[in-house]
Amino acid sequence: MTAHSLSLAAAQRAYVALMMTVISRGLCAASINDDDVGREVARFRPGYTLVMTVFPDGPRFGLEVTPDGHFARSAVTDEAADLVIRFKHLAHAFLVFTFQEGTARAFANDRMVADGDLSDAIRLVRCLNRMEALILPGPVARRALKQYPPLPLGQKLRTASGIYGRVAASFFTR
Amino acid sequence: MSKSYYEFFCPVKIIAGHSALEHVPFELSTLGAKRPMILTDAGVRKAGLLAPVEAALQVGGIGAAAIFDDVPPDSSLATVRAAATTYRDNDCDAILAIGGGSVIDTSKAVNILVSLGGDDLMAYAGAHNLPRPLKPLFVIPTTSGTGSEVTLAAVISDPERSVKLPFASYYLMPNATVLDPRMTLTLPAHITAMTGMDAMTHAVEAFTCLAANPISDAYATAAIQKIANNLLVAIDEPRNADARLELAQASTMAGIAFSNAMVGLVHALGHATGGVCHLPHGLCMSLYLPYALEYNKSVNGARIGELLLPLAGAQVYASTPPAQRADVAIDFIRRLRDHLHAKTQLPRTLQETGKVRRDQLDEIADRALNDGSIIYNPKEADLGQLRAILDKAWG
Repeated sequence: MTAHSLSLAAAQRAYVALMMTVISRGLCAASINDDDVGREVARFRPGYTLVMTVFPDGPRFGLEVTPDGHFARSAVTDEAADLVIRFKHLAHAFLVFTFQEGTARAFANDRMVADGDLSDAIRLVRCLNRMEALILPGPVARRALKQYPPLPLGQKLRTASGIYGRVAASFFTR
Repeated sequence: MSKSYYEFFCPVKIIAGHSALEHVPFELSTLGAKRPMILTDAGVRKAGLLAPVEAALQVGGIGAAAIFDDVPPDSSLATVRAAATTYRDNDCDAILAIGGGSVIDTSKAVNILVSLGGDDLMAYAGAHNLPRPLKPLFVIPTTSGTGSEVTLAAVISDPERSVKLPFASYYLMPNATVLDPRMTLTLPAHITAMTGMDAMTHAVEAFTCLAANPISDAYATAAIQKIANNLLVAIDEPRNADARLELAQASTMAGIAFSNAMVGLVHALGHATGGVCHLPHGLCMSLYLPYALEYNKSVNGARIGELLLPLAGAQVYASTPPAQRADVAIDFIRRLRDHLHAKTQLPRTLQETGKVRRDQLDEIADRALNDGSIIYNPKEADLGQLRAILDKAWG
């Protein structure tokens, strides 16, 4: 491995780790701030745990469904989690988290595998899609999603600022 | 549209053609198997379909060490354990599955227990949880639709917990599948129709959904062509061995296609309808296929238009303007369903099934929304859009 490819991998790893932190906190915030995400999360049973990770050893994040039906960050292990979504390589996670490849397309391109109930994985993907539609600029979200939902600008800005606010606050509170 | 990345895998040896059964003893011997257990269901046995297999084995110097024929249409953990006990009690060393989807799925699950030991099948549920290769498994399909003879998946019911346990592992793939037209000559017309449309849907969705790739496309289009050319022939002439063989090959090719390119909206709706209304899977596929294609047309109409070539042939394809090909392809499928309805009473709408109530449509839509297949559909579908498709399929 050359020094260049090593430094590229290190940079990708740092970026993916950062994005996983932002995405996990964003999902927690969206489960409170956005009715659609909230409804989806409320259909997981309380205590349900999920992990998104990269083969072989991360980066990763874990989430748990709280008793009041929201996401909270969790230190659950891969072995104990109800659902594990695992990217097969850091480069694949980088593609998804730089929004070059949408989540559905990544599944279709065999970039990742889901271990657990597939219905739950589908619900999580819907949460991710909704959050991306809300917080990403339209042109970026259109690349990441199969279909960009019709979102009034006011609603998008209001919900996105709420999510960004909660994400920012979470870095200071936890 | 070129595919930026894909994976394709099918290590299953295909043994196909007239007198294919007679190749089984030699193929078993190459894997060191001498005492296969035949796993089947009572219907297959009653139809006399074991006779040509047993004769072929006997002449080839390999006798069936045991026969387990108690596989129900919806196989369960108890069935798997009972079959595994039969295998162990008779010191078997391979499994010969003879039947349709339930028998094939059961044989895969039995193979887990007899190869890895114990009785706790649930310990191996999920994706890629098998640690090593299993015993030799040969599959002889008696229907032409499921494709399970070339897939890495199996589903077994756990009635005590009211759940279906999914298993997926490369080690579950059979060593060989044997396609011999003698095994489907007596298949009733309505089951021929239903399973044929099941295979057609596997191929169509493999070709039109997000994970389609150049190799799966080749299998899918060849399967579509064979079904379009032979399904009605096999129904009109049930003992036409050539047509039966073509359908058997098409089913396997469609299975190879969809196990590598996945499926989409038709399967999401079909799985949900099967769960809520207990309709056969193949019937659900036939019910929803044209409506799902109509829905997807705005996103991948050109791709659907390409189906016209294998469906209707070069002349129709060439004489149809590209912009109209998707509509003509969907119309071809509708007319095929009309013919099947006229010849076998295969329902074309939910209403015609007589087994679906309109007040169940919301639950079907809700289940379909969370079905694993929906992620591979080229067009996003929300609850309202799914419900609209169901309203159209109601008739």
